[in-house]
Amino acid sequence: MIHPLILVAVFVVCAVLGYFIIRNVPSLLHTPLMSGMNALSGVTIVGALSATGIALLSHCGWLSQVAGCLAIVLAAVNVFGGFGVTHRMLMMFKKKRH
Amino acid sequence: MDVYQIIISSVLALVVLQGISMMSRVKTAVAGNFLSAVAVLTGIAVTLVFNEILSVWTIWPAIIVGALIGSVVAQRVKMIQMPQTVALFNGLGGGASALVGLLSAQGVGFNSLQLAAIGEGGFEGFVRFTSLLAVGVGMITLVGSLVAAGKLHRVLPQQPMVWRGHSLCTLLFLLLTIGCIVAGVFFYSSLLIAGTFIFASLFGLWFAVRVGGADMPITISLLNSLSGVAGAIAGMAISDVFLVAVGAIVGASGLLLTQIMCRAMNRSLASILLGGRPSRNTRNLQLTLENEQLIKRVMDLEKKIQELEALVKNLEDRVAVLTQQVDEAEKTGSSEETTAAGVLAAAKDVIIVPGYGMALAQAQYQVRQLADKLQSRGARVRYAIHPVAGRMPGHMNVLLAEADVDYDQLFEMDAINDDFARCDAVVVVGANDVLNPAARDAEGTPIYGMPVLNVDAAPEVIICNRDLKPGYAGVENPLYTRAKGVYLELGDAKETLQHLMADL
Repeated sequence: MIHPLILVAVFVVCAVLGYFIIRNVPSLLHTPLMSGMNALSGVTIVGALSATGIALLSHCGWLSQVAGCLAIVLAAVNVFGGFGVTHRMLMMFKKKRH
Repeated sequence: MDVYQIIISSVLALVVLQGISMMSRVKTAVAGNFLSAVAVLTGIAVTLVFNEILSVWTIWPAIIVGALIGSVVAQRVKMIQMPQTVALFNGLGGGASALVGLLSAQGVGFNSLQLAAIGEGGFEGFVRFTSLLAVGVGMITLVGSLVAAGKLHRVLPQQPMVWRGHSLCTLLFLLLTIGCIVAGVFFYSSLLIAGTFIFASLFGLWFAVRVGGADMPITISLLNSLSGVAGAIAGMAISDVFLVAVGAIVGASGLLLTQIMCRAMNRSLASILLGGRPSRNTRNLQLTLENEQLIKRVMDLEKKIQELEALVKNLEDRVAVLTQQVDEAEKTGSSEETTAAGVLAAAKDVIIVPGYGMALAQAQYQVRQLADKLQSRGARVRYAIHPVAGRMPGHMNVLLAEADVDYDQLFEMDAINDDFARCDAVVVVGANDVLNPAARDAEGTPIYGMPVLNVDAAPEVIICNRDLKPGYAGVENPLYTRAKGVYLELGDAKETLQHLMADL
């Protein structure tokens, strides 16, 4: 268990860093950026995986497995679909360079 | 163990940030996206190893099913469906975070070591609070995104839906959600979990149905931000640094985009969340239910009158246009210059203004062909992109990119607004509110004060819109009735553009 204060500190630092980096993105790329961010929000799959995994190892019952696996499926759709869609969009921007 | 996890997570978070910063330039954007994806996959692998759950069989089929669905949808979806796809994916992420919160709120998903640490440090309140918060924010994201996707996919009505006592209910659900979450700090009860789940869902539904089509860019970026925040909070609940870090980055970025969109529309976030027309909404909040019903009837009547007025106005406009066209036809005998095609043929500097109508008509290819044709005649062609044109941030850019328009030709509003006065002709394709000059001086209308493209400064304006009806904001566009230099090519943009090209 990591101390809550560390977790909150990480949250604040990353939010500030992200805010300033994203400010540099031109509006031309806002849709791919948003879609990329959208894919990133699927990292919650990490949480879904550990919760489901540990739940099974500590015998928490089948209901937690159903909820956990559903969470994994949803997050995986988000991650894989999000990055895929972003990639397709960016390729459209790129192809006319050549 | 914890120290290693923190270090590795921080490094991965930095990689993600690097990937995002590479997305600020077209050249490196593809690599940036790839880098972020690799960082997330590494994060997944690290989690599996650190939690010693590689051997857990149930997670593998779940990952594979999700990955397959996601990849297939990503490959199959049409570019026109991008806004609703993004909204849908977004909602799923929020739903997943809510489920994680649901599990950790019940103490599921912690091993005995972690549970002992939580007990020792006295962190039970923190875990319960963050778990419930993840459930709340996650469910708002899920339900809100599903409604937004439904509206964008035209399964639900595009117009804002206002139910009985709407503002009151919205506020009530929000307060109840917050109440359940805060109570979770002090004690555990499955009722609190259920309460958070239900009230947050209701709040998501109530706030999202009220958002109209044109406010979608703002809503989508806000929901995007929320899904990140939901993930970060779920990460706090289960004490996963990587999840907290990336969630925070997404949350901040979504908030920034929301801010940019709001500024571009000259609207405050609150006015969009709490109701379409700000003045009515603040009143609504203070009214009792009875009064509200009365107001609703009056509003319905008012709406009907407005509709009738719009109808009459529309007819009047049509008559005006037809008379104008008859006048023009008479004049054509003496000079050839007065047709839209004639204007374009003579123009050396053309600016194209696309809007949501171009997306609806799928006319981006015709727009591109027209631009090519003009360029082959030696004209300079540029595109002026209003920040909120379309239904999601950067919507026009993606569509034009799909039609192979070089992004060097795309200009943001501030970069091109002074050039309208200097160009020879402007072609408007399916845009209305973003160029409505009334935004500068029609006080009291929803678009008053919104920065618009200075299309009215151009000497010749060719408008390829479906009709002359006011746009989403419901404000008449004085440009349509300008006496000189406006050519209305009404109808499906695909066809009108083709006619225009044929006449060139």
